[in-house]
Amino acid sequence: MSSEVHDKDGNVSRRDFLTLSAVGAAAVTGMGILAGVFRYAKSDARYEDSKVFKIGKPENFPVGTVRKLDDKKVFIFSDDAGIYAISSVCTHLGCVVFEMEEGFQCPCHGSKYNKIGKVVAGPAPRGLPWFEVTQDVDGSLVVDASREVPAGTKNIFS
Amino acid sequence: MHSRFYLSVMLISALFVMAYLGLTGYHALMPEWKQYQAEFKDTLVKNAKSEAAKKKAMAMPLGFTQVYLSDLKREDRCVNCHAGEDNPLMATAKLPFKQHSGNYLVNHPIDKYGCTVCHEGQSFATNKKEAHGLGHEQTHWDHPLLPLKYAQSACVQCHDIAMLSKNGGEKVAQGEALFKEKGCRGCHKVDGVGGDLGKALDGVGYQPIAYFPMKHVAGEHTVYNWLKQHFDDPRAIVPESAMKVKLTPEEVDLLTTYVLSFRPDEAPRKYRRIDYTSMMAKPDGETLYKMYCVACHADGTKSLYNEVFKRTVPAITNPSFLKTIDDKNLEAIIKEGRTGTQMTAWNKTASGLSDEQVSGLIGYLASKRPAGPMETFGLAAFKGDSKHGSEIYEARCSVCHGKEGKAGEDYLGISLRSPVIQKKIDPEMLAVTIANGRAQTPMPAFVKDTELLTKQDVADVVSFIKEIPVAGK
Amino acid sequence: MNETSGVSKFIENVKSLADSVTGSIFRGGKPDTDKARASVVYNNFFMHIQSVKTHVNTLRPSYTLGLGLIVFFLFAFVFTSGIFLMVYYNPSIENAFRSVKNINHVVFAGKVIRNVHKWTGEGMIVFLFLHMARVFFTGSYKSGREFNWLVGIVLLILTFMLNLSGYLLPWDQLSYWAMVIVSNIMMSPKELTDSLGITKFLDVGTMTTDFVFAGLTPGKEALNRVYLFHVMLFPIAISIFVGIHFWRIRKDGGMTRPEEFTPKDSDKSYAPMSDKVGGIFPTHKTYGLMELATGKTRAVDRDVENTVMSWPNLLIAELAVLMFTLAFALIYSYYVDAPLKEMANPLIPENPAKAPWYFLGLQELLSYSAFMGGVGLPTAALIGLALIPYLDREQDKVGVWFTNKMGKRIALESFIISIICIIGMLVFAIKFGWLRSWFPDIPQLVITIVNPGSIWVAFMILWSLFTIKRTGSTRMGAMALFVMFLVSYVILTYFATEMRGPNWGFYWSKSQWPIH
Repeated sequence: MSSEVHDKDGNVSRRDFLTLSAVGAAAVTGMGILAGVFRYAKSDARYEDSKVFKIGKPENFPVGTVRKLDDKKVFIFSDDAGIYAISSVCTHLGCVVFEMEEGFQCPCHGSKYNKIGKVVAGPAPRGLPWFEVTQDVDGSLVVDASREVPAGTKNIFS
Repeated sequence: MHSRFYLSVMLISALFVMAYLGLTGYHALMPEWKQYQAEFKDTLVKNAKSEAAKKKAMAMPLGFTQVYLSDLKREDRCVNCHAGEDNPLMATAKLPFKQHSGNYLVNHPIDKYGCTVCHEGQSFATNKKEAHGLGHEQTHWDHPLLPLKYAQSACVQCHDIAMLSKNGGEKVAQGEALFKEKGCRGCHKVDGVGGDLGKALDGVGYQPIAYFPMKHVAGEHTVYNWLKQHFDDPRAIVPESAMKVKLTPEEVDLLTTYVLSFRPDEAPRKYRRIDYTSMMAKPDGETLYKMYCVACHADGTKSLYNEVFKRTVPAITNPSFLKTIDDKNLEAIIKEGRTGTQMTAWNKTASGLSDEQVSGLIGYLASKRPAGPMETFGLAAFKGDSKHGSEIYEARCSVCHGKEGKAGEDYLGISLRSPVIQKKIDPEMLAVTIANGRAQTPMPAFVKDTELLTKQDVADVVSFIKEIPVAGK
Repeated sequence: MNETSGVSKFIENVKSLADSVTGSIFRGGKPDTDKARASVVYNNFFMHIQSVKTHVNTLRPSYTLGLGLIVFFLFAFVFTSGIFLMVYYNPSIENAFRSVKNINHVVFAGKVIRNVHKWTGEGMIVFLFLHMARVFFTGSYKSGREFNWLVGIVLLILTFMLNLSGYLLPWDQLSYWAMVIVSNIMMSPKELTDSLGITKFLDVGTMTTDFVFAGLTPGKEALNRVYLFHVMLFPIAISIFVGIHFWRIRKDGGMTRPEEFTPKDSDKSYAPMSDKVGGIFPTHKTYGLMELATGKTRAVDRDVENTVMSWPNLLIAELAVLMFTLAFALIYSYYVDAPLKEMANPLIPENPAKAPWYFLGLQELLSYSAFMGGVGLPTAALIGLALIPYLDREQDKVGVWFTNKMGKRIALESFIISIICIIGMLVFAIKFGWLRSWFPDIPQLVITIVNPGSIWVAFMILWSLFTIKRTGSTRMGAMALFVMFLVSYVILTYFATEMRGPNWGFYWSKSQWPIH
C-alpha cells in the first residue's frame, strides 16, 4: 500500500504508523474476542454438588469410624490422631476405589493404595488426595474437596 | 488513493466496535454481584477476630456461586451478594451481608434449602432489581421477594399448622385460626370443601400475578399487596365483589400470611414434615358452624339484612325458629340450600361437606333448641282451599314475600318458590310458622296472640303456597 | 543416491518453511500490479465470487447504499451469535426458559450475545425491505435480472421464517402466545374450506399446522421441531439461496448502472493505481474468448474506462460496510435488551396476544378475516412482488433512481394517496365496524372475500392499472403498486404495534392501555 506514496517522503512514516496501529488494534481486539469466546464457553453456573460440604458434628465421628460418602466420593476416617478425609477417586482414570483390609483397590486397572492412600501397585501416578477438614463456626465439620492437604494430616475437633 | 468516505466509515465504525466490545467485556467481567462480594470480603477481613480467621477470610475466593437444589428444581444465586447469611461474625453487618436472623438456618441449612423457598424472588437473577423481582412491569417475575411479615406463609409447604403454632410459625397459625373463625369457607372452597359464592382458593397464594385484577391495587402489583388491600376493603379492589370482611390491620396481615400459603404444588416428599394425623382431627359442631355458617348468619340469634346480598339472612339459632323446625327439615334445607338465595347446598357433591359433618352442624343447632315440645299446628285436620288462600296471600303475605312468592332483592321475606320449600319442607312447618310467626325476625304471628287469621285461613294459605310454581333449579 | 544433499535439501526446506507456507496461501505476494490485484481476487475462494474489476457506479455509496451487503453481514452475525447461543440453549419445555434466563444472567456476555442475535435477526427484515426498495426504485430487476429478483423474494420469505421460528424458542409468554397466533394463522385456510364445505376432503390448515407444530397448539414437540427448523433448515436454505443470489449478480453482469454514465469528481478517488510493471488490461478494449460466447454478454461493449480494480477498492468498501454494520449491531444491542417475559403458561393468555412485530400488519388485516389476512393477502402480495419483473418489461433507464421525473412524481403521488387511503380505511373500520357489525347474520364467505384488507388490495391493483393507462408505462404502474405495498406494510405494522391494546381495542398509545 505504501508504494504509491513513496514519492511524498513526509507521508511515508505516518502512513506506515497508521497501518501498523490499525493492524495492532485489530490484533488486540481479535485476541480479546478469542479470550472472550473461551470465557463464554466456561459455564459459571454449576449444577453439581458443592465441593465444600458439611458432614455433621465431630461427635458423630467417634474414634474408629470409617465412612464412605458415596455421593461425595470421599472416605471419612476417625482415629486417635483425629479426623481425616481421603478421596475415593482413583488418580489414574477416575474410577471409584473400594476399601480393603490393607488399603484401597481400584476396580478398573488394578491400582492399589495403602492405608494412607499411597500407591503400592498399578498405573496410578500418585496417591489418593487428602482433603482439608475444618470446623465451621456452627460446630459442624466441613470437607473442602477442592483443597488438598499433605497425607497424614489429621485434626482433632471438639 | 482510496475512497476517503469508505476509509473514514471503516475507521469510525472500527473505533465504535472496539469501544463497545470493551464496554461489553467490562460489564461481563464486573457484574453487580462481584462488587458486593469484594465488599463482603473486606468486611470479613476487618471483622476477623483471630489471625487464623483473618487468613481464612483473605483466602476466600471471589467467584460465582449458586445453591443448586435438584429436588426443588431451583438454583439460588442470592448468596453471591448475601454472602454472610450463616456467618455469626456478620451478626451486626449491614445488608446484604448480615447474618440471617433467628435460628431458622439451624434446621434449614442454606445448601439444602436455599433462600427462595421461603423468601421468594427470582432465583435465576444476578442483579438486585431482577433478583428481588419487584416491579412486575419490568422484571416480569411472578413471585417477588416476600415482605418479612408474610414470610411464615412459606413454612406451610413442609409443616403442619399444629406444629407451626408452637415452633416459630405463630403468625401463619393465627391466620389459619382466623380463616376458620371468620367462616371464609362459607363462600370459598378449599380442597373442594366450602361454599361457592366466592372463588375457590386452591393455590391462590402462589398464582401468577396475571390472575389478579391489579387495576385498583396501590403500590407494587404483587399478590400479597392484592390480598392485603382486598382484605382491607374488597370492593375497592374488585368493585363487583360480594365479600364481607371486618378485620383489624393485624388480622389482615395474619390472614394474608395464611392465604399466601395456599400453593398449587406440594413440596417434594424429602422436604415435607407434615403430621397428617393432626389434620385428621374432626371439628365439632360449633367449629363447623363457625367455619361454614358464621360469615352470613353471624351468631344466628337475629335475622340480618345483608347490604351486599340485598336480602335478609335468617336467624338460625333463634329458639323460636328451632322450635318450629325439626332436624329432618333442617337437614333438607342445609343439604339442598335455598335456590334463589345465597344459601349454598351443603351436601357432598355441591360443597364437599360430608353427611357426618352436616349432622354435626345439625347437632350444634339442635343444642340451641329450647327444651319442651315442638310447636305444632295440626294441619292434617284441615282441608285447605287454595283459592281463598290466594286472596289472603295477596292481602297479607305478598308485601314481604312478593307476588306469588317470588321474593328477591329488596323483599324482607324469603322466596316461597324454592324447591326446598315446595318439596322438602313439611307443610306442617309452614303452617306453624304462619300461625306463630318467628320471633326476632320481621315475620309476624298471624294466629297466636293476634288472631289475624283463623286456623282454617292458615291451612288455605299453605295449600296456596304449595301450588306456586317451583323455581327452576 | 546422494544422502548428504538430500538431508541438506530437507534442512533448506525447513529453513524456508515459513515463506513457503505463506507463499502457498498468498500466491501472488504483495499485489503491486493490476495483474497481481486481479489474481488476489480470482485466486481467493472468498473473493472469486466478485469480479476483478468493479464499475465505479457500484462503488458509489449513494447508489446501492450498501443495503444488500448489510443484510448479508447481519446474517453472518445472526449465524455466529446463534452458534454461541446454542452452546447454552436447550430446546425442551422444562429447560428452554431456564437456559435463556441463564444466558441472560450467568453466561459471560450472554445477554449481549442474545441481544445481538435478536436484533441482527430482526434487522435483517428491515434491511431486506430497504434493499428490495433500492433494487426496485433503481429498476435493477430488469434486463436479465428477473430471476435474481425471484431469488430475492425467496430469501425474503426464508428470512421471515428464520425470524419466526426463533421467536418461539425462549418459551416465555411473549413467544408462546405469538406462536399460538401463528398456529391459528396457519389454521386459517379452514375458514375458506369451511365456507366452501370442502374441509372434509382437503384440510390444508390442519395439515400445515400439524406439520409445523406437531399438533394444533405449540407444545413439547413443537419446540423441538421449530428449533430444528431454526438452526438447520432455514439457515442452510438461506445460505444456498444467498450463494445463488450472489452468483447471479455476476452472471447477470454485475450491478445495474445507468446507460449514460458520467463520472463525477468524487469517483476520482477510485482512480486506477499505477502499475509498477505493465498491466494485463491494456487501455483498449479486449474481446478474447468472449467472442466465442453466444448470446448477449453484458461485460462486452460496456465502458471499461469507468471500472477500477476490485482490489482494494471494492474490498475497502465492503469492509467499511461490515464495520459499520457490526458497530450498529453492537451499539444497539448494548442499549436495548431483548424481551423476556414470564415462562410460557398456556392457562394465562397475554392480552393482547401479538404476533412478532413483522407480522403485525398481517394481524391487523387478520382481525377482519383470518384467512384473507393470514394467507390470502400475503400470498397475493408475494405473487404480485414476484411477478413485477415479468409484467413490467420496459428496458430503458435501468439503473436510474425512480427512472425519470415522472417516476418521482408517481412515487410521491402513490405515497400520499396510500397514506390517506389506508389511514382513512382504518379510521372507518374502527369507528363504524365492519360488515358483521351491521348485518350479524352475514355468511362468513362474504366477509372472507369482502373485508378492509381485500378491498385495499383491490384498490392497489386498480390504482396501478389506472396509472398504467394514464402514463402508458408499465414501469409507472409497478412503481405505484410497490410504493403502496411498502406504505401499507409500514403503516399497518406501526398501527398494530402501537395502537392496538387489550382485546385488540384501539388506543392512541401503549401508555393508555388499561392495567388488568
